[in-house]
Amino acid sequence: MLEKSRALPVTSARLALTRHELVVTCWLSLGLAALFAASLYLGDYVVAPLDVVRSLLSPFTGVQTQGVDFIVLSLRLPRAILAILAGAGFALSGVMFQTLLRNPLASPDIVGISTGASAAAVFAIVVLGWGGALLSFGALAGALLTAVAIYLLAWRDGVSPYRVVLIGIAVSAMLSAVISYLFTRARIFEVQQAMAWLVGSLNAANTSEIIPLALALLILVPTGLLLGRGLSALQLGDDTARALGSRVELSRLSLLLCAVALSAFSTAAVGPVAFVAFVSGPIARKLLGTGRNGFVPTMVVGSCVMLGSDMLAQHALPNTQLPVGVVTGLFGASFLLWLLAMSNRQGRV
Amino acid sequence: MTKLILIAPLLFASLHVGVAAEEWRYTDGSGQTVELDEVPKRIIASADAAAGLIPLGIRPVGIYADSVVAQSKPLQGLDLSGIEIIGSVWGQIDIEKAAALQPDLVIAEYWPMDGNWSGGEVVTGPESPLRQLVPVTGPTQGDSILSLIEDYEQLAASLGADLTVPAIEDAKRAFQAARSEFEEAVAAKPDLTVLAVWAGEDALYVAATEGAAELSDFSRWGLNLIDPENADDRGYWETLSWENADKYQPDLIMVDDRSEQTMATALAQPTWTTMRAAETGAVTDWPAFWLRNYAAYARELEHLTVAIKAADQHLTD
Amino acid sequence: MTWADTAPVRVLADRRIVGLVAMVLALIGTALASIGIGARSIAPETVWTALVAFDPQSTDHQIIWALRIPRTLIGIGVGIALGMAGAVLQGATRNPLADPSILGIHAGAAVLVVIGIFIFGLTSFSQYVWLAFAGAGAAMLFVYSVASLGREGATPVKLALAGAATTAALMSVVSAVLLTSLNTLDEIRFWQVGSLAGRDMSIFTQVVPFLLLGTVLAFAIGRTLDGLAMGDDVARGLGQNVAVSRGLAGLAAVILAGGATAAAGPIAFVGLTVPHLARAITGPSYRWILPYSMLIAPLLLLGSDILGRIVAPPGEVQVGIVTAALGAPVFIALVRRRKLAEL
Repeated sequence: MLEKSRALPVTSARLALTRHELVVTCWLSLGLAALFAASLYLGDYVVAPLDVVRSLLSPFTGVQTQGVDFIVLSLRLPRAILAILAGAGFALSGVMFQTLLRNPLASPDIVGISTGASAAAVFAIVVLGWGGALLSFGALAGALLTAVAIYLLAWRDGVSPYRVVLIGIAVSAMLSAVISYLFTRARIFEVQQAMAWLVGSLNAANTSEIIPLALALLILVPTGLLLGRGLSALQLGDDTARALGSRVELSRLSLLLCAVALSAFSTAAVGPVAFVAFVSGPIARKLLGTGRNGFVPTMVVGSCVMLGSDMLAQHALPNTQLPVGVVTGLFGASFLLWLLAMSNRQGRV
Repeated sequence: MTKLILIAPLLFASLHVGVAAEEWRYTDGSGQTVELDEVPKRIIASADAAAGLIPLGIRPVGIYADSVVAQSKPLQGLDLSGIEIIGSVWGQIDIEKAAALQPDLVIAEYWPMDGNWSGGEVVTGPESPLRQLVPVTGPTQGDSILSLIEDYEQLAASLGADLTVPAIEDAKRAFQAARSEFEEAVAAKPDLTVLAVWAGEDALYVAATEGAAELSDFSRWGLNLIDPENADDRGYWETLSWENADKYQPDLIMVDDRSEQTMATALAQPTWTTMRAAETGAVTDWPAFWLRNYAAYARELEHLTVAIKAADQHLTD
Repeated sequence: MTWADTAPVRVLADRRIVGLVAMVLALIGTALASIGIGARSIAPETVWTALVAFDPQSTDHQIIWALRIPRTLIGIGVGIALGMAGAVLQGATRNPLADPSILGIHAGAAVLVVIGIFIFGLTSFSQYVWLAFAGAGAAMLFVYSVASLGREGATPVKLALAGAATTAALMSVVSAVLLTSLNTLDEIRFWQVGSLAGRDMSIFTQVVPFLLLGTVLAFAIGRTLDGLAMGDDVARGLGQNVAVSRGLAGLAAVILAGGATAAAGPIAFVGLTVPHLARAITGPSYRWILPYSMLIAPLLLLGSDILGRIVAPPGEVQVGIVTAALGAPVFIALVRRRKLAEL
């Protein structure tokens, strides 16, 4: 197993931040605010900074300029908000998984939750011909069902983190095979549609995507943060499970459920955007430098990764807009690799 | 770019305040009617629709495609100079660039089977930002390329195209001549059987006639296409393991030509030649799914007619 | 040492040897079945005639020689390579999840294949071979270098993270190309499933030297894996140079998994499952895990391929799908049944 005897790389998380962590979190939030402002300003359609502000205020002050308002309020603002929400949702879900399962590989993208959503969505597109809200619902159901299946399969006098990860990977491999199979059987047009969904994109940013996700986060984030207090005592493990009794098992289960729901809602809104869940925890941990997972800083990192990636995807290449998922992988992964390369203390990822 | 800011209000105003003379309306295959107060001038077209419209003299201001335009089969050979490319990835469109083009209308194709327009739900669906900006309409994908082209003619005429200019009339005449010659060549070989395929490394895919509009046209014009026995659930293809490549024995094989790679793949398979037609070289291109105008259709029909004339109708009797 | 001390050990060793022999026989049987069974039904007599008296005019004979025999050989070679690569990686990285796909090998291969199709218009699997191999090697080398930076070198956690990160970065490039190029997507969707179909003998001959080299190297370092699996400190205590051992193990894994991916595309589940199966049979020593993995993997792969050929006539189901469908439940049962395998 991963570093079994030594202090595990992902061992503890607390809600309360140290002074240093607070400072880092503030800087991260400032960074996010700057990205948010930039995302409202940047675009092919040139809008002066002051006009952006006027447009943002127009719901209160009345219509400013219809064209500009459309660009700012109907295009850029929902997109940025969706990016921030989904990024935070993925990131929190990822770091909760990584902490609970005591394995940096145990993010929902790797243990099969995202694959469950993906397989359901590809099936819905290719076989059932679904789209829109129905497709999001299918993905949500796929993620939840997969999570339940993994949990049940891993249950044996309690749930050990190691077993969850192994079974998650097995289930994920099976579902990937289903996706590949559907890909070889479908018409190329459907494959394209499925492929675009699998990469994940913010293109459908509108209120019908944002509101369900925002509501879900409104419930799940505080729940997750509360449940996550003193998580070190809650980490999964056959021995600790027996020692601590069923009440702890229950709160661990609720935490896991919360993490699954976060991942599922985010995926349903924007697709299984690669790697945000996986990478945010380790990045935040590196930046904090205290060897602990901070849930709040991780969420901010997730939002930054998502928003920054989308801006790159939209504006980096002339004449080509790529979906955000193409860049999160590249951007998040490069950053993590850089952190790994820069670190001289091994294992502290 | 500052001028865009100044013009933008006019664009949005023009959708609502009717001051113009001539109203314009078009009812699409999904039953929706688009009504505009004047004939739309600035059009954004999907790649397919652009391939239908450009040869008829309607030049869109912007095109969005499923993939890089250089690889777009329908757009091959068309002059795209001066047209903005606002999307080259499926499901992705630069909506700000689209807005900056001040479009009056988006023309795409309607796919009744999926209930979607070209580009898919995210680009042209009811909740897409593009729809908030501008209406979407266009002809419907059906069982005939010819009637699709005729729909484009009708649409282009309503948009003010002059279909009597020599270039357009010549292309149409060339098509009609090619079609007659095709029908004669087919009639001269009543026993000729033809199979349309896509070749992958792992299997041979046999096309069902009704799954492809041009195959339906060919069939209507007398060509004897072999239909697969067990097409998959959507009725498009039958998948044959290369071990079973000789299941059907046509006199002539048409290979999907959307990508040149397909023919190369087919030729490289050891059991490709277990079809007698492949062994004797009775293999030609199948212009699969991409024909959208008379000129291209004429060219492909002539090509096919040559292959039919050269084929041996008793090869596999 | 008395007779009573050594006897159980020897009995166990004997039993393992018997097991190995049985598996070799099973593999031969499966190979014969793989030549005899396919999407097209060919009578056993015809198969036999094809083998002893080849008639180029007969379609059946052609199919035996041009399709089934290369496919069988590639299946065996790829299976051996995947099984060994998985075992070596799991030992060297002390990570039960280590698998060629997690360490970036598949993604590296996929990137270069996709670029080859997109930019150079490559069309056939035999043209992909070298690209896939180069991509796999480069990706693994990169993962290894990144993980090796820093004081303590390539630790399991850093390897796993670097591998997953590299995979994600490379797959982004793959997605970007696939989204912009319909033709590439159309080609790659059949490659990325992982399949033994459509491969001719030239692919086997190109890949087989690497598979041999990798197998020899894997056996040569087999003993050091036991040390590594017990932890870096123990390995050092045994007098091993941990960095060199792990480097050689990585090299063996790249050669094997790179060759396998080049030949058959990314087959994900075999390298992960088979060492666990082997460990369940043999116990924790790599002296036994390696040869068992080497035999179980081609059995699983070839068996799955045969099944894939007959379940969907007149078509086929790709082997990558069947291995996942068969392997995953087995793997899950294994994980559930055992007091968890400690590496």
